[in-house]
Amino acid sequence: MAKPRRSRRPRTTLVILVLLSVTIITLDARGGFGRITSGVKSVASDAFAPVRSGIDDVIEPIGSFLAGSVHYGAVRQQNQKLQDEINRLKLQDQQAAQTAAAMQQLSALLHLPWIGNLQTLPAQVIAYGTSNFASTIDIGVGRDDGVQLGMPVVASGGLVGQIVQANHHTSTVRLLTDGASTVGAVYGTTPGSYAAVSGEGAGKPLQAGLVPSGTVLTRGELFSTSGLNGAAYPADIPVARVTSSRSGLSSSQETVVLQPVVDLNHLRYVSVVQWGPSTP
Amino acid sequence: MTAPDAARVSLVVFVFVTVQQTLMVDLRVGGVHPDVMLLLPMAAGLVGGPARGATMGFGSGLVADLFMPTPFGLSALVGCLVGFGVGMATVALDRTSWWLPTLSSLVASAGSVVLYGLLGYLLGQPQMLHVDLTRIVVVVTAANVVLAVPAVRLVGWALPAVSTEGMPTSGIGLSR
Repeated sequence: MAKPRRSRRPRTTLVILVLLSVTIITLDARGGFGRITSGVKSVASDAFAPVRSGIDDVIEPIGSFLAGSVHYGAVRQQNQKLQDEINRLKLQDQQAAQTAAAMQQLSALLHLPWIGNLQTLPAQVIAYGTSNFASTIDIGVGRDDGVQLGMPVVASGGLVGQIVQANHHTSTVRLLTDGASTVGAVYGTTPGSYAAVSGEGAGKPLQAGLVPSGTVLTRGELFSTSGLNGAAYPADIPVARVTSSRSGLSSSQETVVLQPVVDLNHLRYVSVVQWGPSTP
Repeated sequence: MTAPDAARVSLVVFVFVTVQQTLMVDLRVGGVHPDVMLLLPMAAGLVGGPARGATMGFGSGLVADLFMPTPFGLSALVGCLVGFGVGMATVALDRTSWWLPTLSSLVASAGSVVLYGLLGYLLGQPQMLHVDLTRIVVVVTAANVVLAVPAVRLVGWALPAVSTEGMPTSGIGLSR
């Protein structure tokens, strides 16, 4: 009796899908197809924005209710009316504190001494990274507001990152800490002290390359954007401060560890600098 | 697959994307958020076998890629490999076992995260291994283990209840 043959269909399906995936990834990485996928991403993000906003509106009161319930459980023996009043006042207090913090961030954005005459566009941070493998934030301004790919994004202290996806009404910003982020920087007072400040992944400090071995760097020393011809950022925006520096025995470069000047974990408002490499 | 089947699958994918993009991205533990989209290929592989697992993984991965800054197509590649893998690994098992969705979710989620980082690295994105992979594996796997059973039931409801590839149907989806 003949042995029943196992179907080849699953394997054929897998091979086709793997080839298709690799083709899409390759085409996305090079050539004009990347613009098509970027456009599709933009359409999807714009179409999904009302859904996200609607659900956020529903979830926020539920979150507040749950938070209130937890607090209520701890003091359940107290008078109900008093407790409600306390909760209400606490909520008001929290909202006032949040509003004050937001106002502080917003007013700080109006005074960016290092930005010079460049135009900026304030934006609210609407979401933190959608992928665990990239350090990004989503902001509430997009192409319709004048945002373009590659524009620098700053906050009150200094550089935050760069626009890597511009949709109609929202944009994605790659943060300095992302592993794909590199910023041309200057440090110290000696002319020609250039470095490349690179991200090492979310939650990790930055590293500076190209700093010659033996360079004396003090803790807290500031690295700012170099603004060299063709650079991705205008000059003189604070990027990060030195936290440690050491010379390797056989290395020609210092190992410099830096902390971004902006607290990238608690961003609420940022400014998009309307600048491109060709802007004077 | 008939039009109603396609509509059900699309609805399930939409629900998962919505949950991921609204609830999960804000639910951070140590800076890492859960990734429920990884449950779709696992559940489809478990319910419908390797071919359907691969197809669901590819489709849902492409949808997930629309909302992520990582290379377009990478989630689709990982999804089809994981869906196929789960389908193949569970061929000989009793798919009505209560523990199978949980165990499959555990292995598939951890495997997906590692595969995602490694494939990203191999495809020219070295920064994708500059992340705390262990933390991502722990958070994503823990969340997906909790959500495995409802996910398998939803996908079982969406996928057509026909025997494929000579294998028994799962009988673990929601009844229609």
